[in-house]
Amino acid sequence: MVYAHPDPGSFSAAVLATVTAGLDARGAEVRVRDLYAEGFEPRLSAEELSRYLDEGPNRASAAREIADLEWCDTLIFVYPTWWYGLPAMLKGWLDRVMVPGVAFRLPPPEGGAIRPGLRNVTTLAAFTSGGASRWLTALMGAPGRRTLLRGVRSCCARGCRTAFAMHYGMDRSTDESRAAHLRRVARKVAAL
Amino acid sequence: MTRALVLYAHPCPESYSAALRARTVEALRGRGWEVDDCDLHAEGFDPVLSAAERRGYHEAGANEAPVAGYVQRLRAAQALVMVFPVWNYGYPAILKGFLDRVFLPGVSFDLVDGAVRPALTHVRRLAAVTTYGGDRVRAALAGDPPRRHFLRSVRHVCRPERTRYLALYGMNLAGDARREAFLARVGREMGAL
Repeated sequence: MVYAHPDPGSFSAAVLATVTAGLDARGAEVRVRDLYAEGFEPRLSAEELSRYLDEGPNRASAAREIADLEWCDTLIFVYPTWWYGLPAMLKGWLDRVMVPGVAFRLPPPEGGAIRPGLRNVTTLAAFTSGGASRWLTALMGAPGRRTLLRGVRSCCARGCRTAFAMHYGMDRSTDESRAAHLRRVARKVAAL
Repeated sequence: MTRALVLYAHPCPESYSAALRARTVEALRGRGWEVDDCDLHAEGFDPVLSAAERRGYHEAGANEAPVAGYVQRLRAAQALVMVFPVWNYGYPAILKGFLDRVFLPGVSFDLVDGAVRPALTHVRRLAAVTTYGGDRVRAALAGDPPRRHFLRSVRHVCRPERTRYLALYGMNLAGDARREAFLARVGREMGAL
C-alpha cells in the first residue's frame, strides 16, 4: 500500500486506516509506505536518469521500494486527488520506482512493444478523494485515475483486477457522506 | 503580449528535452517574447506540498506565501509553455508539484459557490512541448492522461486564445531524423505562438 498525504488528521488518513483494517481482517500480509512520513524524494535526479536504462544498477536508488513492488500481489494507492491528478509525492514514486526492468521491459532497438514487468501484481486498487465534483472530474478526463488504473495496470499481470473509489466534492462533504464513503471503501477491500 | 513563462522539467542538460527547451526559448525570443526561462530542477524547486500548505490551501492570499516568487512569475505571463518528458503516463513529479503548490485557489482559479472560475486568463497563449517513450497507441490505450490533463484542466483555468500540445511519441525508438523533425516543428510552432 502506497500512501501519500501530508496531514495525519486528513480524510485520506481515515481511508488508509479503513483499508488497513479491511486487509488485516482478511489476514493479508501488509506493507504500508507512508511517503510523507518517510520523507520520500519524488524528484528523479540527473544521476538516476544517467543509469535509468541500465537494468540492475537502475534499482539502486529505490531498492526498498522496488523490493516491495516485486513482493506484493496486490498494489493499493491511497491519496488525495490534487489538480485532477496524483500528488507530486506519489507521481514521483512512480517516476523513481517504476523503472525499466522492474515495471516494464523495453523493446530491443529493432522495434517491438513495451512489455509488462509486474506480472506478480494481480490486483490494483486506488482510493482517493478530491474537491472537484464527479461531473467536473469526468469532464477533465480523470487523468489521475487513468494514470494508475490504465497506465500502471498496463505494467501488471495480464487480466489484473482493479478497484476504485473516490469521494468527490470534498469541500461540501458531510459527516454522513464521509462515513458512507468509508463503508464503500471497506466493501471494496473485502471484495478485492 | 510580451512575457512568456517557460517551465522546464528535466534534470539532464544533455537530454533531448533540454534541446526542446532551448529551441522553444530561442523561437519565442526570436518573435519578440520576453522569456522567463524557468528550469525547475536547476532552481531546486520542491514539488512536495507540505502539511502546513495543505491546511492553508483555501486561504486565498495567505496561501501564496510559501511560493510567492513563482506566483509572481506566473501572474506576469501572457504565454505559458511547459517543456517536459512524459514519465509513467504523467508529468514528472517536479512539474506536477508546480501545479499542486503554485496553481492555488486565488492564483489559478477562484472557487465561487463551489464552482471553479478560471483565474489565469492573462495567459493568452498556452503550449506543451513533450515526449513519450512509448508510441501513441500505448498512450491512447491509457487515455493519454497528460494530454487530457493539459488540454482540459490547465486550459480550463487559462482560457487562452491559442493552445498547442506538441508531442513526440515513441521516443524509445525514434531515430535522429524524427527527433530533428520534431525540433524543427517546435521551432516553427513556437515562432508562431
